[in-house]
Amino acid sequence: MQMLRVDMGSLGVRQEATPAAYEHLGGRGLIARLLLEEVPPDCDPLGPHNKLIVAPGLLGGTGVSTAGRLSIGGKSPLTGGTKESNAGGTAGDALGRLDLKAIVVEGQPSAPGWHVLLVGPGSAELVAAEHVIGLGTTAACEALWQRYGQESTVIAIGPAGELRLIGAAIVCTGEGEQRSNIAARGGLGAVMGSKGLKAIVIRPTNAAVPLAEAELFRTSARRFAQELLNDPKVGPKGGTHTYGTSAITAAVNEMGSLPTRSFSSGSFESAGELRGEKLRETILARSGRIGTRCMPGCVIACRNVYVDENGNTIVGTLQFETIALLGSNLGLSDLDQVAQLNQLCNDLGLDTIETGAALGVAIEAGLAKFGDFESLAALLRQVAEGTEHGRLIGSGAATTGRALGVERVPSALGQAMPGYDPRSLKGNGLTYITSPQGADHTAGNAFGARKEVNPLGIEGQARLSLKLQIMAAMLDSTGLCLFARPPVVADPQLMVDMLNGRFGWGWTTEDLDRANRDVLRAELEFNRRAGLPPARERMPAYMRTEPLPPHGATFDLPDSEIEAVFEAL
Amino acid sequence: MLEIEIAGQLLPGTERKLQLRLDRAESVRQVADRLGLDPEEIGLIVVNGIQSELDDLVPPDGRVCFYPPMTGG
Repeated sequence: MQMLRVDMGSLGVRQEATPAAYEHLGGRGLIARLLLEEVPPDCDPLGPHNKLIVAPGLLGGTGVSTAGRLSIGGKSPLTGGTKESNAGGTAGDALGRLDLKAIVVEGQPSAPGWHVLLVGPGSAELVAAEHVIGLGTTAACEALWQRYGQESTVIAIGPAGELRLIGAAIVCTGEGEQRSNIAARGGLGAVMGSKGLKAIVIRPTNAAVPLAEAELFRTSARRFAQELLNDPKVGPKGGTHTYGTSAITAAVNEMGSLPTRSFSSGSFESAGELRGEKLRETILARSGRIGTRCMPGCVIACRNVYVDENGNTIVGTLQFETIALLGSNLGLSDLDQVAQLNQLCNDLGLDTIETGAALGVAIEAGLAKFGDFESLAALLRQVAEGTEHGRLIGSGAATTGRALGVERVPSALGQAMPGYDPRSLKGNGLTYITSPQGADHTAGNAFGARKEVNPLGIEGQARLSLKLQIMAAMLDSTGLCLFARPPVVADPQLMVDMLNGRFGWGWTTEDLDRANRDVLRAELEFNRRAGLPPARERMPAYMRTEPLPPHGATFDLPDSEIEAVFEAL
Repeated sequence: MLEIEIAGQLLPGTERKLQLRLDRAESVRQVADRLGLDPEEIGLIVVNGIQSELDDLVPPDGRVCFYPPMTGG
């Protein structure tokens, strides 16, 4: 496979063969290795020495169900460490079909000006981007589709990324007019903005990905899809498809872990208005859509199209993490209002988790009120205006807290916590502080690990977190959706067979396990060289001392349990 | 009075919130049996806010929630 090197200083683009050492790497794994080998760990994340890396997973382009996720990475301006954030849409498959293992964007413009990178079969070039500068992601994607064709895939930043605000995300388009697949975490939209790159446009090809052992690949890929369909959680009768990711809202609330009013409680009295059943009923009553997919060939289909009372789309999909951070975390119980804040974030190109947490911090500082949609929307709209307060919100929770003198900031390693309060779901708390990715539930989500570990207890959390983090590294490196894990966790040979069928590596499950662990090892090493603080120092102090209602829980895992996570890596 | 909540696709057509009078504490499994819930279809059980299992006890004045299999993303 090939790699594209894009030099934003000289505006040159060159294609090179992927080094043999990277043959077994894809997505997050490739990003981790490239960062370790090519990016000075102490560099300014928004300076010329950082790189923005766009990489499909190993199975991108093959048509394996859910395997088309796109990884985007770089040194994070939020965490100061390694970062990979992935999104659905059509980009992962499109790059895989173009035989591209990665696009590596390097350097910085030597003169003012913005560019769009055009990538197609056998071609790649930078062109001027003036016609889309200043546009929100919705209008920018529309304008780029008009110019380059609706069949193209667009990867773009919004005004937040243009302003290099470190809560900025990167939006990826999908089938039809889908514009809400978002590589949200870690502030990578700011890194893209720092390169003067407004968008990447990928022109598709129908070329098939070569298969080293076609029969093995097809048999295992078919079995994988069938097992997803048979799975009680993610199959067509499962909650993930039926209610979307918000299927878990009520349960997270019942367990006392739903972020409420800036992480001051784990239980929201109006959570019933935000739960998955309510979301489904509302959408269907208004002729919206439920159970749609973010990637071609996905058999889980957990997305929705959330519409207003007149049937007009508010946001492309309304998901649990957003409902938690922009809903209960802000004291909002009206799904319409949450959806509107969600769409504002999408259009600005902001991470809803980071922004929701930042708004919560701003409320504590008196800039808005819990449950007051208008004051929150007004604050959020200031991001595009570039006001002082808008820049703070767009720069995330930690920056907002520092600037406004708020000590209760729900972040770890500079990145806001997702929709599970770590005091009552301690396994996730342990992942937040030990993962090389910072506070990120997708790095190892302990929710629902039934019969394994008591969410409120201490015993077994380190072992569980490591197991989940290794699994996440596998999914993120192969391009699979996190929800597609049941078949490959139950039988890792299934993943090995798909990889061997694709590449002819002759791998064993031991090879796969070593590769997954190597991803974490590379990330941890980058962070060590970057001088990041030890895990035991990353949990906000108040979460160790302030009891969280309703259980009165604190994050009380001893240092020994925290330090034990990677002992068995 | 025991408060019961049944979520998602479990027992379609049934009221989501129910009450049940118990004379004494019973196991989650016994409560599920009374409701006609197939234990195989239950993914997550929460008793008084605590993640629980089928053999855990439910107090007569407690609260139990049954959820279908679910996964965090």
